[in-house]
Amino acid sequence: MTVATDGIPEDTGSSHGGFKLKEWIFTTDHKRIGIMYLIGSIAALLVAGLMAMGIRIEQTYVGESGLIQYFVGDFAGNMTTGDAYNAALYFHGAAMILAFLIPGLTGFAANYLVPLMIGAPDVAFPRINALSLWLFWMGILVALLSFIIPDAPDIMWTGYPPYSITTSTNTAFYVFTVHLLGFASILGAVNFLVTIIYMRAPGMGWNQMNMFVWTTFAAFIIQLIFVPVLAAAVTLLLLDKYAGTNFYNPDAGGDVLLYQNLFWFYSHPAVYVIFLPAMGIMYEVIATMAKNRIFNYKVAVWGGIIGILVITGEVWVHHLYIAGMPNWIRIGQMITTLMISVPVGLMVISWWGTLYKGSITYSTAMKYASANMFLVLVGGLTGIPLAMTSMTVHLSETSFIHAHFHFIMALFATFSMFAAVYHWFPKMTGRSAEGKLADAAFYVTFLGTQLTFWPLFIIGIEGMPRRYWNYEMFPQFEPYHMVATIGSFIIAFGAALMILNWIKAAINGPKVGANPWKSRSLEWTHTDIIAGPGNFPKPVTVSEDWTPYDYANADGTPNTSN
Amino acid sequence: MSAESGTVHEHHWEVSWAPLLIAIGVMLLVPLTFAAFFVYEAQLYGIIFAGLGTPLIVAGIVKWIREGVTEPAVISGVSDVGIGIFIISEILIFLSLFAGYWMMRISSGAAGELWPPAGTPEINKILPLIMTVILVASSITYHKGEEEYHEGNIGSFKKWVFITILLGLTFFGCTMYEYNHLIHAGFNPGTNAYSTAFYSLTGFHASHVLIGIISFLFLLMFGTVNKMFVKVAGIYWHFVDIVWFFVATQIYYW
Repeated sequence: MTVATDGIPEDTGSSHGGFKLKEWIFTTDHKRIGIMYLIGSIAALLVAGLMAMGIRIEQTYVGESGLIQYFVGDFAGNMTTGDAYNAALYFHGAAMILAFLIPGLTGFAANYLVPLMIGAPDVAFPRINALSLWLFWMGILVALLSFIIPDAPDIMWTGYPPYSITTSTNTAFYVFTVHLLGFASILGAVNFLVTIIYMRAPGMGWNQMNMFVWTTFAAFIIQLIFVPVLAAAVTLLLLDKYAGTNFYNPDAGGDVLLYQNLFWFYSHPAVYVIFLPAMGIMYEVIATMAKNRIFNYKVAVWGGIIGILVITGEVWVHHLYIAGMPNWIRIGQMITTLMISVPVGLMVISWWGTLYKGSITYSTAMKYASANMFLVLVGGLTGIPLAMTSMTVHLSETSFIHAHFHFIMALFATFSMFAAVYHWFPKMTGRSAEGKLADAAFYVTFLGTQLTFWPLFIIGIEGMPRRYWNYEMFPQFEPYHMVATIGSFIIAFGAALMILNWIKAAINGPKVGANPWKSRSLEWTHTDIIAGPGNFPKPVTVSEDWTPYDYANADGTPNTSN
Repeated sequence: MSAESGTVHEHHWEVSWAPLLIAIGVMLLVPLTFAAFFVYEAQLYGIIFAGLGTPLIVAGIVKWIREGVTEPAVISGVSDVGIGIFIISEILIFLSLFAGYWMMRISSGAAGELWPPAGTPEINKILPLIMTVILVASSITYHKGEEEYHEGNIGSFKKWVFITILLGLTFFGCTMYEYNHLIHAGFNPGTNAYSTAFYSLTGFHASHVLIGIISFLFLLMFGTVNKMFVKVAGIYWHFVDIVWFFVATQIYYW
């Protein structure tokens, strides 16, 4: 009834020779590509996090801090405070979303885990996979160039015209960052859709796949359909600015709202490109640590994941509520936007049901997952007033909206990413990253995030505008900004502890056996602790009643056959 | 990019330097060259970047195709599905461009303005018809070639591909002739809303024609021809052909 797990040699990870640089730089292996995605996306997280610190420092007090210039590399003080602040804001947003969250979840996590979870030796097109990786790195390089060039982009991550066209800064580098990362995503989508459709282990039906594989599948469908629209939107920006076309030029029959529509047509679904794999990681961690099947698997897949996929393409106009539109569109958008809470709710209920009567082990990953169950609630529920047209008039463009999406993006999705690193750390390194330092890093980071973002909700409701570097008309908000800035320092301290812990554990953490979490998923049961080239010692087949969450026997007793 | 056999994995780490080379080439040729020419007006740097980037990309592609012919694939027979999925994203790019065009066109109509707007010279409606015939013919010749390929007549296959390339080049030449003619008549991308849509849509389509021609050239370059490569190039070329119907009807005959 369960799959055979015998005959796995203890530690053959090292039998393929020691570290050879050539075998990493030129690799086409999905696991190594995944790890290089991880390194790139964590690097982006750290630099973009530094920009966030700069933004917080600038906002601590009313008036100029005199420090923000240093954050964007302007040591000679050639930029005004506003310019430097805008450059930091641009880099923070663009790098966090395009170079950290999306590549972290659909690059690192998908690459490392999907072929292992479906029992495949690699992705369908390994060389295209490597091309995706290196285009992603080139995209990061173009973004980093903004610290060197004198005219760093200052157009947020949204790049709205007409400002992005009339500004004297280098909009082209913004466009090319999007192009490179976007093309990497489209190639990734081709690769992973084909891989998941054609390379599942013989016997593995669609309803037997890991939840993470499902969420990745949905995320890549979104990438495939919507990224090209963003690429087109920014290409037209490039043409307008440098070739003199009139797409966004109202004087000659163009329309600036065309850009906002095209941009959000991608960038709202992009939220789900990040959100879905983050949900998938949560499922894996929760089910493994609670030793329980996924509650309502089919409802969570066909109602939750597919539900999001269906609705995601028709809600983007809610980003334009205050840009102007007929009321009947506002009402329609309000309804569809609120409808998204149905599939998301189904998935969240499914987590709680999975925990119900489980025997929960609080590994570090599970601690992040537990925090996430709270974070997604705050982030999700604060989205509801923003979806409502009457409330949004008041809340739009305040720091309330900023706190709302940071709860989902900066906290929920990022914590999922950290949970993934901890949960699969033994898989990647053969060593455990658990311990006091890991716990300390978690609690410190969690405390810091709460201190940083709750004050922003409060002053947002009271009218603190987003994006301002100076708020001399609202001096009463100063104490709140102060708390938020202290919080950001605590996050930075926590992140430093976490990175230190990862490095320490990767070098000399305690070695672990083949299946430290006693998981039933293929990446743990059917291969060595560090999977070698080709992933599985022998081709994997699974039986009709196999599931990756087979933790209980038919009579309800725990399945301990492994 | 796949070969006949589907079972590999003598267990060693697979490597290829082609992807990294192509990515570096793209970095040099696209963002850096563009920035040098259009943002910083440093032509010399632009020429250097383009001069370094182009050979890197070509070398990377040649290496890539060699490996595709000689090395067994992880899974065979799925490249045609891959290109099909990729074409979905291509369709969305074209749709975005069309969305821009339709929006400008409809809002100008709603405002009661003339279309095409002032500054548009007489556009030749016969030439696009000829171009349509040429492109459809090239799809047919490629299909002929594919049939010959499946019969095993590689020589005859290459002859048909060669004819397809000639037809593609003729099509591309017609576009260049048309552009040249219109720009001399004072109709450039910045002239008005119609010129913006005209050049971006036909230009984006022409770039696809060019990519198709280049992939055919790679087909001719190698002694051994990969079955999947033939099929994938064909699917792509038919797609370029079909898109032209939409571009031509929307731009010239509406």
